[in-house]
Amino acid sequence: MIQVSNLSKRIGDVQALNDLSFSAQNGQITGLLGPNGAGKTTCLRTVFGLLKPDQGFAEIDGIDIAKSPVAAKQQLGLFPDPFGLYERLTPREYISYFAELNGLSRKEAKLATNNVIDKLHLADIADRHCKGFSQGQRMKTALAQAIVHQPTNIILDEPTRGLDVMSTRVLRDILRDLKNQGHCVLFSSHVMQEVAALCDQVIVMAAGQVVAVGSPDALCQQTGKDSLEDAFIQLIGTDEGIAA
Amino acid sequence: MSNKIIAMIRKELIDAARDKRSVMAGLYYAVGTPLLMCAMFFLLIGQLTSPEDLNIKIDNAKGAPDLVKFLSSRGIKHGEAEDTKEIKLIISDDYAANMAKGLSAEVILIADASNEKLQNSIRRLERSLQEYSGEMGSLRLIARGIDPRIMQPIKVNVKDEATPDSKAGMILGLATMTMIYAVFISGMNLAIDTSAGERERNSLALLLSHPVSTWEIVIAKITAVTIFAMVGLILTLLISKVAYSFVPWQELGFAVSVNTSFIVMMLLVGLPVALMAACLQLFVSFMAKSFKEAQSYITIVLILPMMLAMAASYNIAPEAIQWLPISGQMQALIEFIKGRELPLTQIAVSSAFTLAIAIGLAIGMQKSLKSEKIVFGL
Repeated sequence: MIQVSNLSKRIGDVQALNDLSFSAQNGQITGLLGPNGAGKTTCLRTVFGLLKPDQGFAEIDGIDIAKSPVAAKQQLGLFPDPFGLYERLTPREYISYFAELNGLSRKEAKLATNNVIDKLHLADIADRHCKGFSQGQRMKTALAQAIVHQPTNIILDEPTRGLDVMSTRVLRDILRDLKNQGHCVLFSSHVMQEVAALCDQVIVMAAGQVVAVGSPDALCQQTGKDSLEDAFIQLIGTDEGIAA
Repeated sequence: MSNKIIAMIRKELIDAARDKRSVMAGLYYAVGTPLLMCAMFFLLIGQLTSPEDLNIKIDNAKGAPDLVKFLSSRGIKHGEAEDTKEIKLIISDDYAANMAKGLSAEVILIADASNEKLQNSIRRLERSLQEYSGEMGSLRLIARGIDPRIMQPIKVNVKDEATPDSKAGMILGLATMTMIYAVFISGMNLAIDTSAGERERNSLALLLSHPVSTWEIVIAKITAVTIFAMVGLILTLLISKVAYSFVPWQELGFAVSVNTSFIVMMLLVGLPVALMAACLQLFVSFMAKSFKEAQSYITIVLILPMMLAMAASYNIAPEAIQWLPISGQMQALIEFIKGRELPLTQIAVSSAFTLAIAIGLAIGMQKSLKSEKIVFGL
């Protein structure tokens, strides 16, 4: 479970987060929906303890990230934007490296890596250097890195960007699997179809604040619109910054 | 050491070993500098053993055949070719007559004394003329039944106490410096790649979002860069050992023998220096915003150890320099090659300083990894 309470963060002249509070439950997919510049990435970085909030705190399974960062991060898996692959390593080395950083022994890490390679059908590229990978191959490698140590909470920053339909479907299936296994999945996006198709709970963000919370259907009902897209525009009060 | 640190070191080394640029940087240096040093030694031997002929213009050479013969026995000849120096020696018309009468026979030396390049040649010609003059003078005295020693009230007898090895201080200094410098060059590219490069490729934030402390990251990166630096040093020493064995040292009068005890000494002394070099390069690269920026900063920063090393081998700095990092170790190592006793206090103090600087930089780096500005390059 990820709990964010009264987060405020100022970066330069911009109030990136403004008294932001929400929670993402286990066994659910929670979507963080907002236009570009709404503070989604800042919010996720704060949850990971990479940015220090001016006010408020973030808890992962009840552990305050600012107070005990290592213990809190142990419960997290991150699918970052951008991916941050090591181009000279193979996916197998890359995944098992991050497994070891999460406290698995070398043996356990190898085993876990084999499992995740099977699960994501990475076997054909597992021993090639990451340099020259397609966007879909990169996505799978980065995703494997995020789930190899089976964290309770998985955070994905704009996971579907640059993916073709097939890769997007693979990603959706994996996220649904994780949800069914009882993981807490939190992802940020500005793509309506994605959020509508996947999320149990949508948190609509604008200008660093939560504008609305609810399931996609509930949000449509609340605004009296037919599609999530129209509901979204109604909620944030402008059509600025919506990308397909 | 925890499993996480070992995993990080292993990953850094694998990553670096596959990076051609990182490997080549160390390799070129390790292979190149001992060979360059050898080439220099050979040049030096050539200069010491056979001074080149000095070709000048001699006017009216027929007027003083004996002098011309004497000069040519000293390698100074009349020449018309292109390598003839801008020095003219004119033998006066009455040279032979004056010489026969026992008077001063005139020769005129025309040259541009402000021309730096001619200084050595002019001095060489003057010395030879003095020598000839002295010889003729002695002969004249003997012909008159006088002991020529009467003209030398003082006989200076110089006894040089320098051992052949200590004469070579400067060259030994240069040779040692190129070896110590290997730790700075070999790890440099890896240091930039694993810090500024890691951030540029967006993997630094990913690394920091995993459950590892900033101390673990800093220690792993320092260790990896230090290992690379030490491998560079070992390679340089081994190649020097082979290459230097081909130099005919007996002709130089001193020797740089890269024997086992010297290699062990060098590695022991080099380790703290390598640690400091790693910390310095990582710290500077973390401060830089990009790979390119880090490269230019490090190039500037590398002048500092170079200057300290130079100061140590040329003896141009105040006494305090013997306690400073690099210069202290350099001086001690030069003493060691010269066959003197190893100044242990000097090594201990300068190594302690070196380690203190390394620790200070490591603390700074650990703090900087907690700063949002550094991590995201804001």
